[in-house]
Amino acid sequence: MASVHESLYFNPMLTNGVVHANVFGVRDWVTPHKMALLVLLSELGRAGAQLGLLERRRLNRLLLPLLQGPDMALSRLRKAIEECCPHLAGSVHIRLKLMAEGELKDMEQFFDDLSDSFSGTEPEVHKTSVVGLFLRHMILAYNKLSFSQVYKLYTALQQYFQKDEKKNGADENEMELTNPEELDGKMEKEELDGPLREEEIACSGPLSQKQAEYFLSQQASLLKNDETKALAPASLQKELNNLLKFNPDFAEAHYLSYLNSLRVQDVFSSTHSLLHYFDRLILTGAESKSNGDEGYGRSLRYAALNLAALHCRFGHYQQAELALQEAIRIAQESNDHVCLQHCLSWLYILEQKIFDSCVLLEHSVNKSLHFGLPYLASLGIQSLVQQRAFAGKAANKLMDALKDSDLLHWKHSLSELIDISIAQKTAIWRLYGRSTMALQQAQTLLSMNSLEAVNVGVQQNNTESFAVVLCHLAELHAEQGYFAAASEILKHLKERFPPNSQHAQLWMLFDQKIQFERAMNDGRYHVADSLVAGITALNSIEGVYRKAIVLKAQNQMSEAHKLLQKLLIHCQKIKNTEMVISVLLSIAELYWRSSCHTIALPVLLQALALAREYSLQYLASETVLNLAFSQLILGIPEQALNILHMAIEPVLAHGAVLDKGCAMFLVAKCQVASAASYTPQKKTEALESAILNLNEAKTYFAKVDCKEQLRDVLYFQARLFHTLGKTQERNKCAMLFRQLHQELPAHGVPLINAFK
Amino acid sequence: AMIGRAGAMAAAAAMVAVGGGDFSDLREIKKQLLSVAERSRERGLQHSGKWAAELAFALEPLPLSELPPPPVLTEEDARDLDAYTLAKSYFDLKEYDRAAYFLRGCKSQKAYFLYMYSRYLSGEKKKDDETVDSLGPLEKGQVKNEALRELRVELSKKHKAQELDGFGLYLYGVVLRKLDLVKEAIDVFVEAAHVLPLHWGAWLELCNLITDKEMLKFLSLPDTWMKEFFLAHIYTELQLIEEALQKYQSLIDAGFSKSTYIISQIAVAYHNIRDIDKALSIFNELRKQDPYRIENMDTFSNLLYVRSMKPELSYLAHNLCEIDKYRVETCCVIGNYYSLRSQHEKAALYFQRALKLNPRYLGAWTLMGHEYMEMKNTSAAIQAYRHAIEVNKRDYRAWYGLGQTYEILKMPFYCLYYYRRAHQLRPNDSRMLVALGECYEKLNQLVEAKKCYWRAYAVGDVEKMALVKLAKLHEQLNESEQAAQCYIKYIQDIYSCGEVVEHLEVSTAFRYLAQYYFKCKLWDEASACAQKCCAFNDTREEGKALLRQILQLRNQGETSSTDVAAPFFLPASLSANNTPTRRVSPLNLSSVTP
Repeated sequence: MASVHESLYFNPMLTNGVVHANVFGVRDWVTPHKMALLVLLSELGRAGAQLGLLERRRLNRLLLPLLQGPDMALSRLRKAIEECCPHLAGSVHIRLKLMAEGELKDMEQFFDDLSDSFSGTEPEVHKTSVVGLFLRHMILAYNKLSFSQVYKLYTALQQYFQKDEKKNGADENEMELTNPEELDGKMEKEELDGPLREEEIACSGPLSQKQAEYFLSQQASLLKNDETKALAPASLQKELNNLLKFNPDFAEAHYLSYLNSLRVQDVFSSTHSLLHYFDRLILTGAESKSNGDEGYGRSLRYAALNLAALHCRFGHYQQAELALQEAIRIAQESNDHVCLQHCLSWLYILEQKIFDSCVLLEHSVNKSLHFGLPYLASLGIQSLVQQRAFAGKAANKLMDALKDSDLLHWKHSLSELIDISIAQKTAIWRLYGRSTMALQQAQTLLSMNSLEAVNVGVQQNNTESFAVVLCHLAELHAEQGYFAAASEILKHLKERFPPNSQHAQLWMLFDQKIQFERAMNDGRYHVADSLVAGITALNSIEGVYRKAIVLKAQNQMSEAHKLLQKLLIHCQKIKNTEMVISVLLSIAELYWRSSCHTIALPVLLQALALAREYSLQYLASETVLNLAFSQLILGIPEQALNILHMAIEPVLAHGAVLDKGCAMFLVAKCQVASAASYTPQKKTEALESAILNLNEAKTYFAKVDCKEQLRDVLYFQARLFHTLGKTQERNKCAMLFRQLHQELPAHGVPLINAFK
Repeated sequence: AMIGRAGAMAAAAAMVAVGGGDFSDLREIKKQLLSVAERSRERGLQHSGKWAAELAFALEPLPLSELPPPPVLTEEDARDLDAYTLAKSYFDLKEYDRAAYFLRGCKSQKAYFLYMYSRYLSGEKKKDDETVDSLGPLEKGQVKNEALRELRVELSKKHKAQELDGFGLYLYGVVLRKLDLVKEAIDVFVEAAHVLPLHWGAWLELCNLITDKEMLKFLSLPDTWMKEFFLAHIYTELQLIEEALQKYQSLIDAGFSKSTYIISQIAVAYHNIRDIDKALSIFNELRKQDPYRIENMDTFSNLLYVRSMKPELSYLAHNLCEIDKYRVETCCVIGNYYSLRSQHEKAALYFQRALKLNPRYLGAWTLMGHEYMEMKNTSAAIQAYRHAIEVNKRDYRAWYGLGQTYEILKMPFYCLYYYRRAHQLRPNDSRMLVALGECYEKLNQLVEAKKCYWRAYAVGDVEKMALVKLAKLHEQLNESEQAAQCYIKYIQDIYSCGEVVEHLEVSTAFRYLAQYYFKCKLWDEASACAQKCCAFNDTREEGKALLRQILQLRNQGETSSTDVAAPFFLPASLSANNTPTRRVSPLNLSSVTP
């Protein structure tokens, strides 16, 4: 589960984890909307002292989005101003009206007056402030206009104003309008306005270069951090197409379109957009003299690298490898070590699909550190830790490594990597079977303030780390029997990562796993069986394993055995130790269910050895429980009790409720079995303590609603009470047993022989 | 208005008398052509008029008695006559606003059309003027014909009331197309073709809007002889060359043999399937018939360029320059001329000029890309090709050019995408397939490479290199039998064409075959091949050595090898069926093809 997603490895808009928008020169021009803003600014300057503090603050907050955002209709602008300061809105409107209904010279006069705000000993606007820059841009742009352009601007202003007036008029008219002829006239007008209105909703007019850049960088960062807040794929694509229609050279739009296509898993258009982007980028690289030839070659390398990333994302590993080879070759030819490092990281990811390649990774980390690429180095360390964890390396060393890389993250403020690191710790603790530690880490991430939240105001919560942590959290809750809480978390996941998004598969898998467990607990095997298909689709190994478990539960032993054997061989080949141990346990269970306890023992010992070697503590204790059970059946309950003491502690501390119940039940059984040889008085004591343990087991089973186990416990308890001669308690237990027994179908395995 | 409508319908009905690909009454056709030429001219539709007139010119002249009568004037026409006459003269002088001003309120069909058309053209002209000084770079795409929306509203009202004649519908369609309402535009053009099938403009617009064969299938077109011209034209556009040529041949057989339009179209079609000799001879014929023609001469120059016919190209360039040097085609021809003389800067300059004259002239972008490639300015080349693709996504040459650029930049995997695009657009063009094969070979994906080469051969290899490359691949993979088979086919191919001189690889083929037969102990074949080897400089020595060896071995084992008697070049195992079928199974490359 601890996984570092590959898409994080490279992204051209992102160096060392920071999104850079392309830095262009001044490309802005005067539009009627901008003129309205200018009027607003000059009115603001004029009203200056009269404005209240609160109004002033509201206006200031309004200004920045207005200056950066796309052009909007006058009515919307007026409404926005009115919300802050109604008085000012009125005066802005009047001045616009005067200008629009006056003559051309009014506009010329207006622009002449604008530059006055800079002059004087105490200028109203500072030249280098945001507003000052905007004013100066506008004045410059205006002065550059040719004669016909000035006139065109003026007519545009008139139209801008008249459209607003007309709209107001139409709103008023609507009430009185009953005359059919007028209706006809209105229809016609609507027909005329039809296509335009549609555009207006999406985007009012063409964006200037600055506005477009702002739009792109905003959407890109949203896509990266919180996909749900970005525009929907379809409408974003529409916007981009619009943008590209006006300016096909706007390369960044192609890149965003690539990212957008990735969201909907569209290979064709994403490839198309990506290549188009780099074709265009090569141009800009060639044009800018500062980069010279180098800039041009650079984009070529990254083009190939990105293509590799794209193929990898879609699972075309062979293609990805070819593209990567190409990138590596070009990077080598031009001695671009940074690019080579990126390539190396990618190579690792690709090779990982085929075989373990720690060497590559270690190399990558070393080199990245050498070239000062902390982002890559940390990612490398994290991948390495993940791999080592699976390979059963010493836990303390791994945690140390993570701690060291955390230091690096905090130093460079790589908040994304901090998140990943915590998620990874959660996953590793889970792997080791320390659920409390995992829980703590998960909560840490969720309640931590992201670094970026301070900067951008966008909570970074759409990343894989969050998905991983939340999934773990859901599972941990389900294990403890808090199903409502688990489903609440899953609901939240569904909202945060809609089904078609990149990380949705994670929660889908966990959701089904939890459902599966519940169905198994309830004994609704057909439901569990129907879930297997879904699990297999998301994770084939997990699916096969679950299938075997269902078969086992349905007493189809030989099928289950066959499946498990196959799975065992496969998992041993791909070195998935966690699964190997689980499979071994299942196989052992199959054996003892068929009353072949002697065969089960070596299998269990093998599992125990493996679990100890890879420090998978929880699996180890589970194995011990199984072992103890086998010993109990083989008639050495004292021995069983001895080894149970080893396992009971971790199980009670970290285990799932069901396991706790099973463990307590088993303890009770062993106690009873070993009591047979005791003196009567000691025997009574032992039996009484067994009853207490059974009570505890009962509460655990009740928590997860395991009726079958409950029934068994009750039966056992009734027998014990009977032996002790406590008739009343015995009858109570017997009654409860009967109730349950009628509900459930009888199963073939004798009660004493079942451990789980 | 009702009368006008009825009149138009009657006229149209009379004109559709000859229908359904029936060319028996050429006189009637000629009459129709003459009359529609006249009517188009009255409405200022110069190009349609020109087309009809050109076609009419190809038919026998009519005797006086059969000349079409001057169009009958209705009461309305008479009322609008003064305004129309004045406006038409303004229109001819390109004073569109002025023409529209005097035509407002006119009710007759002719005057109304001219009124609307003037407004449309005025809008277009202003749009062009404004593109020069728009406010900002992003606004450039935003400049649009302001008149379009008003025209659309008015025309759609008339359309709903069924008051538009064929020309009016045509104009409505054009307005819709300019507003990017493609579906509606197609419907209106089809209607226009039904009402007035003789108007070529409507058909031509349809040609531009229909992008594939499927779309064509679902159109319900009027059953007239004009449809044949339309089909031939659109087949050429959709690269369905064989069908197009068939259509044109039947048109020629029907009596249009003198039409310069058809001749030029056939030449273009041959150019498209790279039958260079035929295309050249037809173009030469065309120039004889119509020496001052500038249209299609850019295609002609491309052909001359491909054949490196310097003097002819130079003559053509100078000739066209004399006729009109500010035509797109002229600039293109001159560009080709300079390119052939390896003066690539100048060539690029002329292509740029062509683009200034007409920014939508697609060919020039691609050609400019080629020039930049020659100048090793890869980034500029990529830019030019990308522009070409922007203008027309189906321009396979631009995709191919992009592929080549990246191949030059040593990115064989990256260029696969572009070659694949080109291949998709021209599935039966061997050049793309060979290029694809070469890329796969560079990527060491030999299976894919083999598929590509084989396919290239199967669809008819233009450059005759696919087989040699395939053979070499087999050689590399130690599949000697297949390699030999390929070489044999290659040699057969070359000899059947009769142009051995240019192909250096023939000697390689013979050398390999000689060695192969030698290994198989087929002495006769081996010595025949070795003798052939001696005819080439580079393999002479080897050939001789092999001959000596064969002689030696033969003398030793004379008795043992008498039973082999396979025919020359075709050992029994190979002769079964080695002609590739034209219809090969789809190219199933294992890689994902976005």
